[in-house]
Amino acid sequence: MSGMSETTITYKQRIKSLQSLIALVVLCILLSVLTDKFFTTDNGLNILRQTAVNICVATGMTLVVLTAGIDLSVGSVLALCGAIAAGLLKNGWVFPSADLYIGFTIFGVLLAAIIAGGVLGWFNGFVITKFKVPPFVATLAMLTIARGLTMLYTKGQPISNLGAKFAFIGAGSFLGIPVPVWIALLVVLLAAFITKQTRLGRYIYAIGGNETAAKFSGINIPKVVIMVYALAGMMAAVGGIIVTSRLDSAQPNAGVSYELDAIAAVVIGGTSLSGGRGTVWGTVMGAIIIGVLNNGLVLLNVSPFWQQVVKGGVILLAVIIDKIGNKND
Amino acid sequence: MKQTICKLLVICCTILLFEQCGQKANSSGQKKVAIVISTLNNPWFVFLGEKAAEKARALGYETKLFDSQNNTALESDHFDNIIVQGYNAILFNPTDADGSVANVQKAKAAGIPVFCMDREINSLAAATSQILSDSYAGAVAIGKYFVQTLHKNGNYVELLGLVGDNNTWARSKGFHSVVDHYPGLKMVAQQSADFDRNKAMEVMESILQAHPDIDGVFCGNDAMAMGAYQALLTAGKAGKVKVFGFDGADDVVNAIRQGKVAATGMQFPAVMAQTAAVFADEYIKGKRSFPQKVPVAVELVTNKNVGDYAAYGKK
Repeated sequence: MSGMSETTITYKQRIKSLQSLIALVVLCILLSVLTDKFFTTDNGLNILRQTAVNICVATGMTLVVLTAGIDLSVGSVLALCGAIAAGLLKNGWVFPSADLYIGFTIFGVLLAAIIAGGVLGWFNGFVITKFKVPPFVATLAMLTIARGLTMLYTKGQPISNLGAKFAFIGAGSFLGIPVPVWIALLVVLLAAFITKQTRLGRYIYAIGGNETAAKFSGINIPKVVIMVYALAGMMAAVGGIIVTSRLDSAQPNAGVSYELDAIAAVVIGGTSLSGGRGTVWGTVMGAIIIGVLNNGLVLLNVSPFWQQVVKGGVILLAVIIDKIGNKND
Repeated sequence: MKQTICKLLVICCTILLFEQCGQKANSSGQKKVAIVISTLNNPWFVFLGEKAAEKARALGYETKLFDSQNNTALESDHFDNIIVQGYNAILFNPTDADGSVANVQKAKAAGIPVFCMDREINSLAAATSQILSDSYAGAVAIGKYFVQTLHKNGNYVELLGLVGDNNTWARSKGFHSVVDHYPGLKMVAQQSADFDRNKAMEVMESILQAHPDIDGVFCGNDAMAMGAYQALLTAGKAGKVKVFGFDGADDVVNAIRQGKVAATGMQFPAVMAQTAAVFADEYIKGKRSFPQKVPVAVELVTNKNVGDYAAYGKK
């Protein structure tokens, strides 16, 4: 019996990831018919490069949502980590009292930014598990705190001109594919490996599916949850590095409302907001759908007023189709 | 029970703390100036607010900066607090030309003078004086230089700021009031990038897919101009396509010097902020007649005169 239910679940999940893929294909065909500028290699790479940041952020968000949590702080964390990378690269770490200055290599600033993201995420997880604060509230607080810290660190001004080597991360290509796409791919593969192949992955699904059952089966829930938020923070930091490098500038207001794009990608990708169900690959599809839509609306020169209406409508449509699909199963 | 007592104690202590702070400020007898800024989520406004605070402090006032986060309701709350705390003047950068009028009237009724900086409110009587950046005229000057640079011929793209913002349309209308007279100049795309550098880069990348053969880009602010330039650079069209911005931010002034950006409209936030602070000081010292509106010209910066300028002003 257990064998049978397992096959049905995989079958259902496969259908679900297929649904977002089908939606993506339909959208692409539609846009190809409407404009001949859409279906070109250049534009394809362009869309992937633009989507890379959201893929990184949304992948972290998927892990969080799978545990039935939510992380609203990713946009601010992205901005702070990007600013830290840019600031350390440009000015190093200065201790005025000791008259000491530490310069950083590019590798050093990348590590520092990712560690910063991990620490901020860890703090989210700590507050959520230790004080039983709902994730929505804890990460909402972090959204504001991290934005404030970004303003403090940058003094509200952009940190620009970071040099050609750093710009390679955002603007360079490797084997004809933009570097941000390679980075996003690495992040996704890591998350897919965690969810599919490791004990941590099974625990993530178990906690989201039924927290009480997970607790009684001996899973150390706080440890897993903290780990997941730390991972989400680190992935947001990777997104921050890409944004900063692409612009050759860390903007204090970077990443505003990125959490909404990430949540939209997760939802369109078929991950349940109540946890326990969904895949990283679905989220990748969701993020690409949003990217294709952003790109297509500009290619068609749709009025900026209408773009917002259309985008919201498509998200709604995707979720409704998903719900109907669920019912029929 | 124990917890409740603990909580109460903490609350009481916090209140005591604030009381003491308040008393300390009052006992020093220093006059206070409030600076209310539409949003500190934009480097330009941060600079405006800091310059206003700097000047007011130099004139001997205690200052406090309020961030309205582009939200008229939050701005209203700030005004309530400012009135209750008995500030002597408000240096004000309104969130919305119509939506902020009621807030200014509220302060006026409480006897606190309001000096508007950069952005206007649609009421002549409410504010004591308005020191305004002439966005429309600045965009007209950019429009003229745009026509000249493109030799009256070519395809161009316009990147708008936030579509709900007055400045977005003042700049766009000023620009089009000139450029639309030249049939050889064809606008192939008009898109919004929300005054945001990253958004501008992404929108520009997509536009370049549809229209690879453009000659110019007019951007509603400098952040978008830098974003558009970054997209052109990646596409290998940086030299060919002329980029025009607005604001006079550090990055763009440097970019004009290096020939990366063609021109920008230099605004003078420091001049506006300092004028407002000086007016407030004069008002507090008894002067009552001020000009209703003080226009501060927006100057065209190109590679010919860029040597005279630094970020947000003259050298």
